[in-house]
Amino acid sequence: MLVTTGAGGVGKTTTAAALGLAAAAAGRRTLVLTIDPAKRLAQALGVDLSGDRPNRIELDAPGELWATMLDMQRTFDELVDERAPTAERAAAIKANPVYRTLASTLSGTHEYMAMEKLHALHAAGEWDLLVIDTPPTRNALDFLDAPKRMTGCLEGRLLDLLMRPGFAGGKGLGRVVGFGATAFMRLAGKVTGMELLEDLAQFFRSFEGMYGGFKERAEQVLVLLRRPDSQFVVVSSPQPPPLREARFFLERLEQEGLHTAGMVVNRVHPVCAPEPSDRALEQAAASQPDDTEGRALAGALRLLIDTRHLGYRERRDVAAALRGLRPPALIEVPLLHSDVHDLSSLRDVAAALTGAA
Amino acid sequence: MPDGLDELLGCRLAVVTGKGGVGKTTVAASLALAAAGSGRRTLLVEVEERQGFSRTLRTPAWDYREREYRPGLFGLSVDATDAMYEYLEMFYGLKRVSWVLSRTNALDFVTTAAPGLRDLLLIGKVYEIERRRRSDGRPAYDLIVLDAPPTGRIVPFLLSPTSVSEIVRVGPIKAQARSIAGMLSDPARTRAFVVTLLEEMPVTETIQSVAALREAGIAVGPVIANMVVRARLSPDEAKTIHALGPDRIAERASAAGAPLDAATAELATELVAAHADRLALQAELTDELTESTGLATIRLPLLTGETFEERDLLVLADTIARAVGDDGPLADMP
Repeated sequence: MLVTTGAGGVGKTTTAAALGLAAAAAGRRTLVLTIDPAKRLAQALGVDLSGDRPNRIELDAPGELWATMLDMQRTFDELVDERAPTAERAAAIKANPVYRTLASTLSGTHEYMAMEKLHALHAAGEWDLLVIDTPPTRNALDFLDAPKRMTGCLEGRLLDLLMRPGFAGGKGLGRVVGFGATAFMRLAGKVTGMELLEDLAQFFRSFEGMYGGFKERAEQVLVLLRRPDSQFVVVSSPQPPPLREARFFLERLEQEGLHTAGMVVNRVHPVCAPEPSDRALEQAAASQPDDTEGRALAGALRLLIDTRHLGYRERRDVAAALRGLRPPALIEVPLLHSDVHDLSSLRDVAAALTGAA
Repeated sequence: MPDGLDELLGCRLAVVTGKGGVGKTTVAASLALAAAGSGRRTLLVEVEERQGFSRTLRTPAWDYREREYRPGLFGLSVDATDAMYEYLEMFYGLKRVSWVLSRTNALDFVTTAAPGLRDLLLIGKVYEIERRRRSDGRPAYDLIVLDAPPTGRIVPFLLSPTSVSEIVRVGPIKAQARSIAGMLSDPARTRAFVVTLLEEMPVTETIQSVAALREAGIAVGPVIANMVVRARLSPDEAKTIHALGPDRIAERASAAGAPLDAATAELATELVAAHADRLALQAELTDELTESTGLATIRLPLLTGETFEERDLLVLADTIARAVGDDGPLADMP
């Protein structure tokens, strides 16, 4: 299992797809799971991912490449259907107004559902390799916290509170959780309206008896992620903000005892030799005659200066972000002529990833 | 293209959004510097606790207090928990010290109960500032620049007052949410700026978000294209380089005092080809943006210095001002 992670907009999905492509070329039956609602993977692969089942991508390769996208609401619905003790209970949960907004908004839900899907795909045992593209969360750490947070939220003290009949009036709550929470419950009722609290309490009550299952599954997924054959690929672009997130993630993986396959830095400017100096290049450019050939040459020399500066800036920022850390592999994917939007450009990325590895 | 900064910034709240990785924060800072440079008392607000501005401006970390970091440029980092405490204190007279909520993850609870409430708290703080007046009756700030969530979440973020008022059926929040929604949908008060790169996926996402923002009733200002590669050669000149070939290029550079080795000369020809492709793509995507959105595009250059400093932000601020025909903050500087 390979899990790609990193900040938004750094090319995680592209990296996941390219890794899948490389694995298929190496003869493995590979499934790429994307969580990105922007359907970028579909664009690059030229398949429709909106369906329920994985789609096979037509390739001339010894292995196979399949792709699928996580549908949040559907995964959540399936989970409720599967776990609810009765069909009536499942229907009651799905009809609750809180449930309808929960799937897309509760912090950690997205990540939890990804874990759930991952577990199901792994259990199916149909694939040699699963490549999972994580959600573009603001903070990549959310992904690891997801199982804990989801169950934490379901198990929390506030939940206990809500589950008690007559909670909303705050009766007897002072004894249980102290004055602050009582005041809080009254206030929450005042501010948000009682019906909302009732809906919420009803929602949590209808989940009663299902928490154990959630927690167990979250723990199973963590066990799965800790196996040596589950590896994380941290993806970044060579700009400081995503690089900072990449660093946090590398540190966190180490702390959690998870396995890092390596770090991929996408779209890095090529290396340009240190000689001739910027000054020599600029002087040579400035001394060119003002004709097409002269202007062309001056432009080419100035492009060398630009590239050298940007490459220097990018590599320095990468080195600064990685100071003291040693990812098992550090792979630069060069800035390509055009954007990655088809299989052929995806193959170029795959070549950069595997060639450097 | 708007005529001058008065027209470009003819609102009280500039909401800056964009796909992840397009440099939204840099553009928000540049826009704020352009505004402050034109004599506007400007507040730059970040809501995602990234400390993006304090890093670039090399100031101490920003927090929940408005401070003047540069002449006329104030900064604030809004945190939803702080916003909630302030709100409760303001409307319910509850002192922060009387709260033992941090133990009970109150905010997690509240946001579970009413999704969008966290966003509403953040926007609510911006609303409070927008309504605030100086002693002479003028607004506290001439312009508030909000470094908002990325395009993927911007519409739910800006619609949080509306969606919360749908879930919350009664109570004071409903009325307040409605006033906030009123501020956001008033083009004289709020305008969104979408930042993009001139690359295919960001442009596609920009076109979609401009449409979604308009659908949500939010006025949209010019698109700001960031990190635009400046033309070093014309298409004809690029063809000339191709015709010359690496050997001849190395020869001529050498004659001009810059001897290139074979690999560097080869790299130069590749860079020129890539550059020509990039410029063609940029032109094509600019046209696509204009056609699909009907908006003008302000182009900010990819700055190619070895470092990126505050001076670079001023260059971008200057570019914004000049794009609308005004002098920028660099006009008075040596």
